[in-house]
Amino acid sequence: MAATEKKQAVYLCEGCGISDAISLDELEQAVTGEMRVPLCRRIDACCGEDGLAQIKKDIDKGEVTQAIIAACSPRVMCEEFDALGAQVIRANLREQVIWSQPAGDENTQMLATDHVRMAVAKAAKTEKPAAHGPGASSMKLLVVGGGVTGLSAAREASKTGADVVLVEKTGELGGWAGKWSKHIPYASPYRGLQENPLPDLIKEVMGDKAITVKTNTTVARTEGGPGEFAVQLQNGKGDEWDVFGAIVVATGWRPYDTAKLEPLGYGSSPHIVTDIEFEDILSAGLSKKTKKKKSLDVVAFVIPGGADRMPYSSGVSDRVAIKQALQVVEAVPGAMVYVIYEDLRAHGTAEEFYREAQEAGVVFQKGEVISISSDLTVTVRDDLLGGEVPMSGIDMVVISTGMVPNSTDIDREPSQSGADQLKDDIDPRVPITFSGKLVNGGNGAEPDKAADDDEPALPGGPILNLQYRQGPHIPILANGFADSHYICFPYETRRTGIYTCGPVRRAMTVGEARQDAQGAVLKAIQAMRAADESLAVHPRSGDLSYPKINHDICTKCRRCTVECPFGAIDEDPDGRPHINFSRCRRCGTCMGACPVRTITFDNYNPQMVADMIGAVEVPDEFAEKPRILVLACENDAYPALDMAGINRRQLSPYLRIIPVRCLGSVTMLWISTALEKGFDGVMLMGCKSGDDYQCHFIKGSGIAEERMSSVGETLKSMMLEEDRVVMEEVSIADSVRAPQVLNEFADKIGAMPPNPFKGF
Amino acid sequence: MTAPDAARKYDLGFARWVRDNVDGGDKLSMCMQCGVCSGSCPIGTQMDYGPRKLFMMIRAGMKEEVMTSNTMWSCTSCYRCVVRCPRGVPVTYILQDLAAKSVELGYANPNDNTRFSKSFWWSAKTWGRTDERLVTARYYFSFGLKEGMRRSLDNLKIAYCMIKAGRMHLGMPHKVKDKKGLQAILKKAAEIEQRESGS
Ligand code: SF4
Ligand code: SF4
Ligand code: SF4
Ligand code: SF4
Repeated sequence: MAATEKKQAVYLCEGCGISDAISLDELEQAVTGEMRVPLCRRIDACCGEDGLAQIKKDIDKGEVTQAIIAACSPRVMCEEFDALGAQVIRANLREQVIWSQPAGDENTQMLATDHVRMAVAKAAKTEKPAAHGPGASSMKLLVVGGGVTGLSAAREASKTGADVVLVEKTGELGGWAGKWSKHIPYASPYRGLQENPLPDLIKEVMGDKAITVKTNTTVARTEGGPGEFAVQLQNGKGDEWDVFGAIVVATGWRPYDTAKLEPLGYGSSPHIVTDIEFEDILSAGLSKKTKKKKSLDVVAFVIPGGADRMPYSSGVSDRVAIKQALQVVEAVPGAMVYVIYEDLRAHGTAEEFYREAQEAGVVFQKGEVISISSDLTVTVRDDLLGGEVPMSGIDMVVISTGMVPNSTDIDREPSQSGADQLKDDIDPRVPITFSGKLVNGGNGAEPDKAADDDEPALPGGPILNLQYRQGPHIPILANGFADSHYICFPYETRRTGIYTCGPVRRAMTVGEARQDAQGAVLKAIQAMRAADESLAVHPRSGDLSYPKINHDICTKCRRCTVECPFGAIDEDPDGRPHINFSRCRRCGTCMGACPVRTITFDNYNPQMVADMIGAVEVPDEFAEKPRILVLACENDAYPALDMAGINRRQLSPYLRIIPVRCLGSVTMLWISTALEKGFDGVMLMGCKSGDDYQCHFIKGSGIAEERMSSVGETLKSMMLEEDRVVMEEVSIADSVRAPQVLNEFADKIGAMPPNPFKGF
Repeated sequence: MTAPDAARKYDLGFARWVRDNVDGGDKLSMCMQCGVCSGSCPIGTQMDYGPRKLFMMIRAGMKEEVMTSNTMWSCTSCYRCVVRCPRGVPVTYILQDLAAKSVELGYANPNDNTRFSKSFWWSAKTWGRTDERLVTARYYFSFGLKEGMRRSLDNLKIAYCMIKAGRMHLGMPHKVKDKKGLQAILKKAAEIEQRESGS
């Protein structure tokens, strides 16, 4: 593998109290002796000016190509060491040895030596990564959707110097929000009604030379990846192809289905309307037109609860009710305006808006709305009122509805059957399918979408019509909203280079949508720049390594294609996996999936970690020193353990912790190597999977969980207890819990008989 | 699910009427139903409904129950609720005026509370002071001669103890020095009230 001969050196750091807690003499002997690394230096403080200079001297002289630095955590001092020029391999002696173990202990010394052994073994199987080739360099942005979100996105992108094409399905810009006369406050002091910002925004966009607006246009097909999306745009006149660096999807929302409000009473009178219908009445002007038909002396805004409400709520419709109530009070002097609610969600600055409405005389009446009759009697139930109270004498009832995300284009025919959709990787809660068959329930979620194979799970057709092996849709999460990581990276869609923003990913107001557009545009620009330099985007931003497939060994089993969380792998006409590098996030899930282990990264591969495991010295069964392998996700679990060390929380000395890119990258080889080597237990530590996942690669930890579900059988066939191999979910904030979990596991393993494979 | 109680009289216009006619009623929309008023009220547990609940009932149009409740009559005007209400609702004024309105509109005639209030007011306006004996006597005898006698006799012992303790005096009732001035003030107040409610 190595193009040039590897020359290794181990640098043992004496700083940060390392030389006080462990014997560096012994360690040095082990390095030059059993580890057979000829060059080992002890350095006062590796990160100090003198220390760095000493290491650099060796490298510059050509004596060292791989510097194994046994010092602090690989999470700190990265820039300093990377600047040395050689490939740097780190052994974490500080956070995970001396800060979490008693000084001068025999076990501490063994742990430190194992850390260096693992680093030396790693060095043998790692290369400094080189780029996969020239990057893809289109810096033009496609924005889909001409509502407030899309228009804002286009403007924000243009301000950074990007060229933008904005496509809008209808003939007009502005979307829903553009039609409305007044808006929920979007600027300080967040009190009164605000003017519609859309006319000005549209003017700005139309006057912007960097933005090309195409109305009556949809996206017919999308191919490629970041920096090189080939997009077929379609309008009445015909098709055209264009190349874009990234895509922002701002397709917005559509109203909630009014049929679902009929049981409540919608439809029984023309004077029972939805909030969206009431906007038209408001736009037409209240005092004149409507008053002629029907006086608006008493108006009730009803925010339904329970079954009538949508399965999710964001508080947007509550704020709309407040807004419309204020509009009535302002337009019809003396009117009596009620807002009837069970829960009023007016969070953040909306509290000010709520107060404004109260001061204007809007009456907020708490109670569950049981029914609305055709004579406009609203029956309300509340415990404080002691039962049901009919409120009658109302002139108009306005029912709050909600926003349904346009994560699909409902005007298009579904292009797939439900069964085909199920095979696609659309919904992270739906378990992985393999060859069209459900592998198992995965993530603990019921495969609810499988209920009827022919019934499409998503209404309508795809928006971008992605020509991806994993299907044409943008992946969704709960309730049809575009998938997004709710804490860390809200705009990422699992289709790299495609960012959703606005109400397609979360119900939001105009003010919120404008901010959201800014965020998504910044991510899109990052993605275009990264693609240009062949670099990974979030969360491994700047990573040059990429998965390589040895096609001579590949059996075309397609597991990598199916399990890649980002749809990065397609199949060529011969059925061989083809990786689209600019889509790839470098998570290694494909590597963990490959049964013949032929997917590798220059600096991360199955053999490398297997050799690291093999390098650990496992004492025999009489030593009563068990060994436990911990494969810790480097996004959350590993930093949490570092943090535990920083806080001097003690860890069991029997743990051997190896960071992994994602639990999805864990191959069964590592577990079997550990057990055959005599490790007594294995723990996988990663992020939360499921509906509210925190996995940085979305499906990685869920996939690992699924793969692990079959590990019990393997253990049984080896005559080993099933609970020797477990998986735990932790978050980055778990620096107290993570060590507890590990120590408890170590106690449990310690109480079991030793692994009988020891010593073989 | 229970059917709406037909015996109840609901009138959604009531909330508007309170807003437009009751002193402080225009501030009722500020109430956010936190319950601080009811929780602070020293008489709260004796009231049919605490102020918070009463306000909710007003909004729901429960006119009959609100106007015949003892809530406003029980209020001692201690102003704790007003001081504590986070939304600046003048709870005490609203209750006081609701009491007055309930008499005016014939909801509260006659009950225990109104009888006592009338006796109290009679004393205040006649003497400019309250006289424990006369207020009590007038209140007792408002139930009729026989009932008045019975109540008086029942409480004789208490009266005796109060006299002994110096809590009730004998002899002529106390009165203000300038009774004429008092009458003039009351006459002027009645005029103002007449003018304001008549307009
Ligand atoms: S490394 Fe991750 S994103 Fe890249 S191809 Fe493999 S599974 Fe897909
Ligand atoms: S998982 Fe491995 S063997 Fe299967 S298709 Fe992918 S590279 Fe080939
Ligand atoms: S304290 Fe004020 S806001 Fe709270 S319930 Fe009473 S009147 Fe309403
Ligand atoms: S003023 Fe009246 S209602 Fe308010 S706390 Fe005092 S007694 Fe209760």
